[in-house]
Amino acid sequence: MEIFSLKNLSFTYNASDSPALKDINLEIKKGEFLLLIGQSGCGKTTLLKMLKKELTPFGKSEGEIFFKRKKITDYNSMETASKIGFIMQDVESQIVTDKVYSELAFGLENIGYDKETIRARVAEFANFFGLSYMFERKTDSLSGGEKQLLNLASVMVMNPEVIILDEPVSMIDPIFAEKFINSLKKINDEFGTTIIIAEHHLLDVFKFADRVALLEDGKLTAVNSINEIYQSVRGKEIEKTLPVPVRIFNCFNLDGECPVTVKDAISFLNKNNIKSNYNSLNEIYRKEVILSAKNLWFRYQKNSRDILKNFSVNVKKGEIYAVLGENGSGKSTLLNLLNGSLKPYRGKIKCASKVAYLPQNPKNVFVKDNLEEDLKSINNSYLELLERFGLEKYVNTHPYDLSGGELQRAAIIKVLLTKPDIILLDEPTKGLDSFSKKELGGFLKNLTENGLTIILVTHDLEFAAEFSDRCGLLFDGEITSERGAKSFFMNNIFFTTPAAKISCATGGSAVTADELISELKEEK
Amino acid sequence: MNSFKNLNPYFLISYFIFVLFISIFSFNPIYLTSGMLGALSYCFLILEKKNILKSIIFYLLIFLAVAVLNPLFSHNGKTVLFFINDNRVTLEALIYGAVLALAVVEVIFWFKCFNLIFDSEKIIFLFGKISPKTALVISMTLRFIPNFIKTFRSVNTSQKLLLKNHRLKRYLNSFSAVITQSMENAVITSDSMNARGYLLKHKTFYSRFKFTPTDLFLLIISAVLFILTVIGRTSFTYYPEFIFPDLSLLNCISYFSFLVLSFIPFIFEIKEGIIWKFSVSKI
Repeated sequence: MEIFSLKNLSFTYNASDSPALKDINLEIKKGEFLLLIGQSGCGKTTLLKMLKKELTPFGKSEGEIFFKRKKITDYNSMETASKIGFIMQDVESQIVTDKVYSELAFGLENIGYDKETIRARVAEFANFFGLSYMFERKTDSLSGGEKQLLNLASVMVMNPEVIILDEPVSMIDPIFAEKFINSLKKINDEFGTTIIIAEHHLLDVFKFADRVALLEDGKLTAVNSINEIYQSVRGKEIEKTLPVPVRIFNCFNLDGECPVTVKDAISFLNKNNIKSNYNSLNEIYRKEVILSAKNLWFRYQKNSRDILKNFSVNVKKGEIYAVLGENGSGKSTLLNLLNGSLKPYRGKIKCASKVAYLPQNPKNVFVKDNLEEDLKSINNSYLELLERFGLEKYVNTHPYDLSGGELQRAAIIKVLLTKPDIILLDEPTKGLDSFSKKELGGFLKNLTENGLTIILVTHDLEFAAEFSDRCGLLFDGEITSERGAKSFFMNNIFFTTPAAKISCATGGSAVTADELISELKEEK
Repeated sequence: MNSFKNLNPYFLISYFIFVLFISIFSFNPIYLTSGMLGALSYCFLILEKKNILKSIIFYLLIFLAVAVLNPLFSHNGKTVLFFINDNRVTLEALIYGAVLALAVVEVIFWFKCFNLIFDSEKIIFLFGKISPKTALVISMTLRFIPNFIKTFRSVNTSQKLLLKNHRLKRYLNSFSAVITQSMENAVITSDSMNARGYLLKHKTFYSRFKFTPTDLFLLIISAVLFILTVIGRTSFTYYPEFIFPDLSLLNCISYFSFLVLSFIPFIFEIKEGIIWKFSVSKI
């Protein structure tokens, strides 16, 4: 039985002339795990919101949406609120109350269950999701990943038949992202809950999806099983955002069963006797040290644990240095020490150059209502920079209205205006899709070619592999391994990119998807 | 260890109303002293000794200040001790000042206990029974404030690193930016609330508290002790002459009842401690 069926659905926003969704026909079966892919701005969010009555945007819509064979508009809010769950990208603002238990109870309180029912239901789900350990905690003490799991659990307590998720893991770290996707799979398997998810963190989701729907410019161009969707994307721009195994398969123009996991990809390459080329590592060794930190020790309070222990690092002029490490390893603390807003209690930072710092949320560097006014407050050379990086058309836009990638670039331009020699970036790829990541990476490369040094902390391995010059792993308060980016990922066995895993198993030396594809093409 | 805290908020709030009512309206040094001792004994069990001793010194200063200031401004009373600038300083005013000071410090100490016991969860629970909406608003506010401060710090730091503005100007700029950001986020929060059925009418309230027989027992005991305290005829007369209320049986019962009432948290805590020790020794 289909749970949703969309008949000739079109939608136009009030403020816009062109439709955001064009003539969409889609049947979603009960218990299905449906993945929705498409480039930013292709209408994914609009489509998802149309399925949730309470969130339907204002505008003109045509066509019909049926939920369980009845028009969705004929349902009362009581039914749709609990039957259809919705999870958004913004981890933080989705949380309503101050404590974990009250957040879990929120939906049930709205429906009007009595205290005993709520108590029982909340206990059940806290157990299922393994949230008991944080049951009494304040919601703002949780990590980003924990928050999103909480959001999922607070929707699940209402026992929905469908959960709709709009890029749920793009803001959280990879370990929790995997945990989150696994929880979704578990929900799907054990309760038969239908999952409709839009996501560009694809590898994990891809292997679980029953079908993939491709949305291009408001039109639904393909709906197919994962093993077949590769044909619909072949040669298109969206192909580059798909998981490495799919891309490998596609570059040989084959038909048949497409590999989805790293394991499948390796056995596919072995079966067809394809080896990847071993290219020597071309790493530039820069000499001039621009910033050096020696034996730093830091803790927040007298009695708390040390965040940094005997931490030392030398950053060379003109390089992109990526500090990798899991959540809570002290990455952000490190940046705050380097920018001078925190002081180590032992050790020294030697740096004669001007340092600029960009916080994790790039919104936080803007204080004025439009971009021009904001940048003007630093100095007047902003126009040149905006033009150089293709943002001049947004001069009169409110900074918050820029897309994620544009906002990140605008924020970097703002700190560039202070004429720094070193820029510190905190998780610059958070919430960005792969196109914006590529753009941002190119932008950063461009800056270093002009003599700037960039230090960034991230848990985005693919980004670090592709764009950084050197990587260091921050663990237990110090840099435990440090190499040129390529050899870093080649030498790591676990802490590395999927492309490197595949390449390594087939004798190659690639660490990014693009490199791997080109190695394989050479071989072909 | 803090088991008194884990009792039902209904009982706890009633208890505090009883104690504070007597403390504020009796104005009788005997009640005040026993109340003071009760509050102090509880604090000694819960807080670190060092902190309490520090705060006792501070409250002693408050006590002295109030006690000394009253006779300087109030010149009522029969027994003149001496004159300052042709103004009488009387024994009655001195005693009145001391009692007033005792009352102030005692109430402060009870509020200290109140703070130790009433976290946001209990306060929300009490409001939740009156109106679930109010409880939700308090809970949302408690979520909003730390978020707001965190964002403000981040904005302010990045402004500080970017611009050499005047501090006040920077604060204002950052503040307005954080307000705008909060409003943007509020849109998402309200979506999230609506998606989970906030617009539906029936709103109930979930809490983790249960009203146990222990709560009922303690509530009845406290209420009885409170009534026994109130029926005493124990009002002091301070001006123009100091008159003790007579020590009738009724009044003695009243004094004793309040002493017991004040020590309920202490006794409960000790009792739980003994039970715990006993059960551990059995293991």
